[in-house]
Amino acid sequence: MGRTSAAGRANRVRAARAASGLTQAELASAVDVTRQTVVAVEAGNYAPSVYLALAVAARLGRSVEELFGDDDPAAPTGRPHDTEVRS
Amino acid sequence: MSVHDDQHDDDTPGTPQDDWFLRAAARVGDLTSPFYAEERQRDVWNEASAVGLQLMLWLGLATSTAMVWIGGRESLPYAISLFALVGAVSGVSLAYARRLGVAVEAPARTLTARLLPYLLLLAAFLAGVVRAAPDDGFPGGFAHGAAGGAALAVVALVVGGARARRRDAAA
Repeated sequence: MGRTSAAGRANRVRAARAASGLTQAELASAVDVTRQTVVAVEAGNYAPSVYLALAVAARLGRSVEELFGDDDPAAPTGRPHDTEVRS
Repeated sequence: MSVHDDQHDDDTPGTPQDDWFLRAAARVGDLTSPFYAEERQRDVWNEASAVGLQLMLWLGLATSTAMVWIGGRESLPYAISLFALVGAVSGVSLAYARRLGVAVEAPARTLTARLLPYLLLLAAFLAGVVRAAPDDGFPGGFAHGAAGGAALAVVALVVGGARARRRDAAA
């Protein structure tokens, strides 16, 4: 597994995406990547760039820390905060 | 170091816009292709290219070595040509990285235990060249000189790497 892997670092993208009612394909289209990239990010098989992480967080209405931070590994359950969401 | 010190940093990497080599490399590598805009595709392809380059280095040297030991004198021009081709390709890769501020060939980084089998294979190739080359004339002198020069370069790499590692350990 290559250096782009984020193995061992959990993230909460899948839960946040599900809470937002988006499919992987919809999220991928919104942040201009392939669906395979979203799959890899959610599975921890790919560490996104800071720009992609920001785009994903903005689309899901979360902060990057909420999605990728080390603390509080529980899935986010609250409403997305008031981040401007791009369509 | 203050923020202003960065303005005098001689290691500031170049950019494709102001560097003919990087512009040419971008053209050769088709680096402006939309394929590279998708970051995971780009990263995965970079890893795949690294695997391919390493494989080419190993297979190129192994093939060159086999040619000089099996084919003897007649195969010498072809073996040396293949060796030079592989060296030129890897040299371009190193030069590209260096232009962008990444010194892949820095001795302390390069000289790992993983390199030992490659150095042994390289020594076998150089010994094969010396063995197969004629003793006199321009071809013989060229082959012996190239083998000797390469051997000295390897020794310099090993010695330089050992010194760099000691410096890094002491720092």
